[in-house]
Amino acid sequence: MSNRLAVRQTGALARRSVLDTLRLPQAWFPSIFFPLTLMAIFTGSFTETFSRVPGFPDVPSFLDFAVAGAIVQGILIGGTSAGAAFATDIEGGFFDRLVASPVSRAAILLGRLGGSVALGVGQAVLFIGIAVLFGARVEGGVAGFVLVLVLAAVFAVAVGGLGVYLALRTGSSEAVQGTFPLFFALMFFSSAFFPRETMDGWFRTIADLNPISYLVEGMRDLIIVGVEPRPTLISFGVALALAGAAVGASALAFRRRLGDG
Amino acid sequence: MIARAITVSGGLAVRNLLLVRRMPSVFLPALIMPVFILVATAGAFGGIGAIPQLEDSSYLAFTVPLATVMGGGFAGINAGMTLARDIQGGFVDRLVASPAPRVVLILGPLIAACARSLVTTTAVLAAASLGGVFPPGIVGTTVIYVMAALFAAATACWAMGVALQTRSVQSIPLMQIVVFLSVFLSVAYVPRELQTGWLRVAADLNPVTRILEASRATEFEGASWSTLGPGLAASTLLIVGLGLFALAGLRGLGRR
Repeated sequence: MSNRLAVRQTGALARRSVLDTLRLPQAWFPSIFFPLTLMAIFTGSFTETFSRVPGFPDVPSFLDFAVAGAIVQGILIGGTSAGAAFATDIEGGFFDRLVASPVSRAAILLGRLGGSVALGVGQAVLFIGIAVLFGARVEGGVAGFVLVLVLAAVFAVAVGGLGVYLALRTGSSEAVQGTFPLFFALMFFSSAFFPRETMDGWFRTIADLNPISYLVEGMRDLIIVGVEPRPTLISFGVALALAGAAVGASALAFRRRLGDG
Repeated sequence: MIARAITVSGGLAVRNLLLVRRMPSVFLPALIMPVFILVATAGAFGGIGAIPQLEDSSYLAFTVPLATVMGGGFAGINAGMTLARDIQGGFVDRLVASPAPRVVLILGPLIAACARSLVTTTAVLAAASLGGVFPPGIVGTTVIYVMAALFAAATACWAMGVALQTRSVQSIPLMQIVVFLSVFLSVAYVPRELQTGWLRVAADLNPVTRILEASRATEFEGASWSTLGPGLAASTLLIVGLGLFALAGLRGLGRR
């Protein structure tokens, strides 16, 4: 099979994945509604207090601080939905028909991940756009904005890959959806909503060990500080490591499901 | 008639409570989530406790009423979830065809929701004790339990009303989202004096604010009618309003 054909197939399957999500409000609504609502509630709750909290970074407003957490949360929720949609394809037999057809096997996997990337970047643009409308600023300028989108894309590959892995291993959309509380916990036990410097004890230790902390902090620095090499590189390192592990695991699970591995 | 209604309601309440053991995957999250909310909120936003308005207390103590009231909310949502499953499974149809008065369909799960809120409140208070925040005496602790149970009754009426109107388990997310929003659009994270903009307006108008404030004020300052009164009035308002919503759904049962 020519590479050109495989690329076209990947594009078609990515398009299908995006349209599938957009067609079902229950698939995209939570990943937009919950992060935006929490961002608004936290901004209303902490705008008056954050500057008096010892250890809180110097930011013009809490909204600027909250945007990165909302983007990562949206991608986590969206990735769960994408994984559940892939599991629905397996349950409904579409996956088997696809495998039996001359479609490239890599395209099946990459198409789904491409869909996750498109939705993740779309969410990031939407959340930053809404925050800017309400007075937030991206201190990193155009370069910072583009880097945030690239980070969002790499993280979307990681979460989408994990969703695909879970779908391939369980073959059940309910089981994939059931992992949502775990992602929710990962967000809260990180610096997604409040800085690590304000935490203490065992909670701080978990936040220090949680990769989501470093991912959000790099993204947040691009918004509230500007383009600084160290946090950006750490954030990209974490996102790439997660994406590599998730894609590798989903490729292995794919082979195992087909009986090749 | 009344004696029969009480007996059947009691039976349905016991059935609802026994389902906790038979379907743990449905009910365990409702027990774990309030403790998770306590730990995650107090841990993530603990730094807020250092500002002057809150420095007399730990943020963990400030978060206890949020978690107990949320636990009541989860207990109430479970009543609606169970009723939606019973409607789809045909159990409600059999009960409607029996000589038992229809009102038992909401009274039984309502009692079970209040009873279940006692368990979630105990779990939250036990978790807070592990963190060094102990229950505030007999009267204060009783108020915390009562406020959570009243919110459980209100949310049970809401969730059962939705179940009776939609007759589908697909309405469960609607039950959950409204309860979550009602709590988070109150004084969940900081006192009203520290809120700004639209959230302050929403919290002023939200009856759940009074319930949380009653529980919180009793925890920190002891029980007094000036703080307890608005909480009890708000709970009564919610239970009556949402109870009428559930009864309206009950009246429509069997018509479609």
